[in-house]
Parts: sequence; structure tokens; C-alpha cells
Amino acid sequence: MAIETEAGLIAIGAGLAVGLAGIGSGLGEKDAAAAAIGAITEDPSVFGRALIFVVLPETIVIFGLVIAIMAFFVL
Amino acid sequence: MLLPESMSRVVIVGTKPRLDEAIEVFYDVQALHLIDHTTGADGISIGSPLPATSKASERLLKVRAMEKELAVGKTTDTAGVEAWDVQRQIASGGVENVESDILKTLDKRNDLNQQIAELNSKKKNLGILAKLPIDLEFYSGYSSIASIVGSVDSDPSPFLKSLPDAEYFVSFSKKEGGAVAAFVRASERDKTAAALSEFGFTEAAVPEGSGSPTAALSAAEQRLTALDAELKAIGNELDDHREKYKTFLRASDEELSIQINKGEVPLRIAVSDYSYILDAWVPAKKADSVKAEIESRLGRDVHVEIEETRGRNLHDEENAEERFKKTPTKQNNGLVAKEFEYAVSLVSVPKYQEIDPTILLTFFLPLFFGFMVGDCGYAIPFIILGAFGLKTTRHKDWRAIATVLFFGGIWAFLFGFFFFGEALGMHFVGVADELITAGGKEVSWDALLKVDFPAWFEGLLPEIVHNEHGVIVHHGVGKLVEVTFLLKISVYIGLIHLVLAYVCGILNKARQHGPKAALFEKGGWLIAFTGIVVLCYGLTRVLFDGDGFEGLTLYLVAVGGVLTLIGTVINFETEGAQAVIELPGLIGNVLSYARLAAIGMSKAGMALAFNYIVFGMIMGINTPDFHVSPIMLIIGLLMLGLLHLVVWILAILSAGLHALRLQFVEFMTRFFDGGGVKYEPLKIKREKTILHSEIKEV
Repeated sequence: MAIETEAGLIAIGAGLAVGLAGIGSGLGEKDAAAAAIGAITEDPSVFGRALIFVVLPETIVIFGLVIAIMAFFVL
Repeated sequence: MLLPESMSRVVIVGTKPRLDEAIEVFYDVQALHLIDHTTGADGISIGSPLPATSKASERLLKVRAMEKELAVGKTTDTAGVEAWDVQRQIASGGVENVESDILKTLDKRNDLNQQIAELNSKKKNLGILAKLPIDLEFYSGYSSIASIVGSVDSDPSPFLKSLPDAEYFVSFSKKEGGAVAAFVRASERDKTAAALSEFGFTEAAVPEGSGSPTAALSAAEQRLTALDAELKAIGNELDDHREKYKTFLRASDEELSIQINKGEVPLRIAVSDYSYILDAWVPAKKADSVKAEIESRLGRDVHVEIEETRGRNLHDEENAEERFKKTPTKQNNGLVAKEFEYAVSLVSVPKYQEIDPTILLTFFLPLFFGFMVGDCGYAIPFIILGAFGLKTTRHKDWRAIATVLFFGGIWAFLFGFFFFGEALGMHFVGVADELITAGGKEVSWDALLKVDFPAWFEGLLPEIVHNEHGVIVHHGVGKLVEVTFLLKISVYIGLIHLVLAYVCGILNKARQHGPKAALFEKGGWLIAFTGIVVLCYGLTRVLFDGDGFEGLTLYLVAVGGVLTLIGTVINFETEGAQAVIELPGLIGNVLSYARLAAIGMSKAGMALAFNYIVFGMIMGINTPDFHVSPIMLIIGLLMLGLLHLVVWILAILSAGLHALRLQFVEFMTRFFDGGGVKYEPLKIKREKTILHSEIKEV
């Protein structure tokens, strides 16, 4: 029973890590993407640089994922 | 290969009378990147366009206008024409002849359109009048009475009844609205009209004529039908013109544009009363041959001098005269790498003095894409689509995407077969005897097809032995099983990628400012990065493997710590506090590569679920000796195709975008400055017109 509870807690923790990090990334990207689309409409040549800024916050969710995976497989 | 081509600056001086001829020669050598002249201390100003240019511009304007009217454009399919033929036709007034021919038709069309518009408004008014029992001639011709005619939204009869000395006619139905004609004293006209506006009154003009409006209406309709037919005939005539002239129009458009481009060259160079002077960049390896060709064709009327061959040190650039500062970048890439230049240009054009990252992207971009997809079943459509795109499309955006899909597809196939050993999210060879479970966790191709693959085939797949208790042999790395292993690989790939980026940065700085600057600006970061990596490796041994602070672990932590410190101290010289603040970011950069494994996992997870839906739920395959009814088989296969199409499309978006991001953000920001000027030599690109000499060669 104790082991099952422990596994369940790990699963909840992993889910929170990915989920919350995802929300954070989404909030960050929301603003960046809106601004980037505006900029690209004005001048399509900034596409590459705009893309960089848009996907920058995405790293955060990867961190969350790494933590989740560690929770499952390493702890 | 890594650096843009070396460039030399030449100055060409010649006599003005032979300028026309000289411009032809400059275009023929196809190597001169003009440096725009600015009127400066030398006091010589820019020249004026060649005399023929204004005529050519005028003609081009006409040609473009006609192309627009006839809907002839870049995509119109036309045949090639010999350049001399087009030149002859233009010189003998071809453009003007075609114009007068087309203008006649266009004028007719405009007339017709105007008549139709007038008739339509007349028809509308007659439609209103037709509701009233008054002939047209009775509306006008009075001296003290005025008529007010128009449409209304609501019934104005009660109001009109209250008017003294007024005669009125109203036809009203709630559905269609109504018409009203009121005859009042001329002096009361405006007042009445204003009062009527409360009923939604809109005045209608009474057309001239006599007799009943109904008759006039049908006459107008007949006339309209006739005009429409005429308009259609004119449309056909224009179509004929289009067919007849489209080839000439496209060819003359191109020829005239070329003439104008050539004619405007004097605007970019210095021209005095008797001579011209022009500065240009030429690829260093071509400089001598260009000089020789220009001198041999223009003889004693020209003098070409090679002024300098620009080095990569930025001090050369700083010391140069303002307009000679920027050296154009001619990227030096092979056939395949050329296709990736566009991806780099999305960020910026490389500077003349720095490493062109194109060749590195050519290798890593498809590699990362392939690693993330890592599945034969998705790889083959990628390869086919990419090859098809490369063969058919000319648009640079689509070509760039097709290139990544093609080469990425090849990598995906290699990884999918030799590393993951799977197609459509299923391993080729399953774990013996527990292939298909009710949970649908393991479905493999050999179990589904009820075949045993030959031993040599299984030998190609990597063998992963699992579990310390029993021996479970996997043929291929399981994306959702060997997660820690895949994460480690991703991080190692990231380390290599990042170290490469730092090395490129050091090479750039060493070339631009010398080795000392390279050490302080980029070398410090490489040292700090190495230190952090070693330190973290030591710490993971303590935290996850349960080692104590002793032996190798202690050394690792100590060496890592010292290296980090040295690196940070070096960086502190140039970057100040940022050297410390950015240290955790270095770990973040490495972890960012975890997406290589993560995207693969997400694909595998979706594929697993979809396969379970199809094989477990629809086809009901739960035991090794299963049987599927033909109907369920068909439904299942259709669903299989549909669901995997979803995964496949998501693979393009996520794998493609993330592979690109790793190049742009993690890799290129380490060493790439950009902001270069693209090398654009004087050169003519003919598509529709063909030079006579080229035909001879064929």
C-alpha cells in the first residue's frame, strides 16, 4: 500500500512538473508570438529572428519534462 | 568552405563615350558587385541614365499596364523568344502597335461598361415608377407644380392626405416597400421632400421619355441584354489578344527591364564630362581574369586596377574609407549546402569576416530532425515528399522545407531502422512470446504479420538486453522504455553541438581581432562551459548514483569547480557581472537538447495510443493466434492511415521547428553575428528571352 501511494505521489509530481511548466511556457509564448506575428506582417525578413524569440520560452517545458522523467526513472 | 569567398576591390576608369559598351562588358563578366558612388571630396558626381533608358521605361510602363489588363503574369505559360528578335520588334515600335490594338478593344469595353452602369440605374428608377399608374411625360413640364418621385419604406398616405393642394399616388406593400409620386406647389417641394424622409423616402430621377414606365422598363432590359452580349464578345476578343500577345509581352517586359537596369548603372558610379570611375568588389580568385577581359574588350579606353584584397581582420574594415567598409558576402557552399543558405538567411546574412554556419546546419538540422522522428514508417513519406518538392518547386521557402524533409527523412530512416528498429511506432521484432497483450503495450510487426523475420534482418537491428532478473531482448531502442538512455544521448549530442559552437566563436574572434581577444571573449566561455559540465557530471554521481565525495567523483567536482572559476574570472574582464549571472544558463542550454528525446517520446506515445485503438480495440488483437474479420480489417487499416497521418503532420511541425530552434538559438547565437551584405554582381538573368549565342551552343 505504501509503495502504491509513493508511486502515485511521484506520478502526481511528474504531472504537475510538466503541466505547470507547460502553462508557463504557453503564457510566455502567447505574448512573444503575438508580437512576432505583428513584426513579420510589417517586415517578413525578420521571420527567423522572430521565430527564435517565440520558441525561447519553450525550453521551460523541457525542464519540466526532464524533472518529470527524473521523478519516474531516477528517484 | 566555412568562410565566405575572399574579395578584392577593383577600380575601373574609362572614357565616357564608350560607357554604353563598357556597361555591356561589366554585365558580361558577371562578377562586379558595384560600390555605390557618393559625391565626396573628389567632387565628381554620379552620372545620368543612358539616353535610351527613358524611352525604355515608358515602354515598360505600357507593357506592364497591358499585362495587368490581360492578366498576363509571371505564372503565365509562354514560350522562349530570341533576344535579338524581341529587340528588333521593340525598336520597330512593336510595343506601341500592340498597345493601340489592345487599347481599341479596352476603350470599347470601358464604353460598354459605362453604358451598362447607366442603364442599370435607369432600370432601377423605372422599376419604382412602374408601380405607379402615371406615364413618364406627366412627371414634368409644369410651371407652378413640382413632382416628387421615389421609394419609401413605410406608407406615407396619411401624411400626404393632410397636405393642402397636393395630388399623390402611392403603391405600397409591406413586403416589397413602396413607391410614391406627389405633385405639390413648386414652392412647397423641398419642405414636402424633407417631411417624406421620415417614411424612408429616397428620391428617384425620372428618365426622359414618354409612355408607360413598364414599356420603358422592358425596352431597357432588352437593351441591357444586348449590351451584355456585346461585352461578352469584347471579353472573347481580349482573350484572343491575350493568346496572341502574351509571349511578346512577357519577353519585352524582360528585355526592357534588362535595358533599364543597364541604363541606370551610371546613377551608381562617378561620371565626369569625359570619363567615368567605378569601384566594385570582385571575388579574389576571379580578379585577374575579370581585369584581363575588361581590358581586352575595351582596349585603351579603360584602366582596371586591383586596389586590395580584403582580409578577415576587422581592423582592416575600420581603417577603410566609409563606403569601402562593408565587404559583400559570397557564400561558398556546394550543391546540397546551398539549399540551406536560406535557413541561415532567415536569421541574417553572414558577415564577410565570420564563419558561414550553412555547412554546419546542413549536417545538424536534418540530423536532429531525423533523430526526433526516428521511425521508418514516417521517414519514407518524408523522403518521397521531400524529393518531389525538390524536383518540382522553385520557390525558396518551399525548397528549404523540401530539403529538410528529404535529408531529415533519410536520417529518420537510418535512426528508425538501425537505432530504434521501428516503423509506425511498432518494433519490427517484438519481445518473444508476449508480443500482444490486452493492454496493447507491445504490438510488433512480426506478430501482426505472423512471420519470423530472417536472422540477418534481426542482426541489423540493435539488440538491447533488459532487466537483471530475466533476459528480455529488445530489437531496437524503445522510445518509451529506454528514456534515461535517450535523455543521456540527447545531452551528449547537445554537448558536442555546443562545444562546436564555442570553437567556431573562438575561430571567428581570433580571425577578427587576434588570439588574445578570442581568449577573453569566447575562450572564457568555453572554459566555464567545460567546467560546469564536469562539475554537473560529478554532482549527478553523488545525487543519483549515491557515490560519496571521494575518488573520481571528488576529482570531477574539484576540476569542474576550478575550470568554472577560471572561465568566470576571464569572462569577468569583458562581460562584468553577466559572467556570473549567465552561468546557470549554460546548464539550461545543455538541458534544452533534452527535446531531442522528448519530441521522439511524444510521437511514440501518440503512436502507441493510436496503435492500441486500431489493433487492440477495433481489430481485437489480443493473443498471438488472433483472427480478424475482413470488415474490421478494412476499418482498422483506414483508421490506422488516418491516425498516423496526424502523427506524421505533427512530426513536421514539432520536429522541424525544434530542430531549427536548436540551430538558431542554442547553436548560432554562440558565434554568429550576421548583418553581412549579400554579394550581388551585375548580371542578367534571362528566362523568356534567349541570347542568340546560347542557342548556337545548344
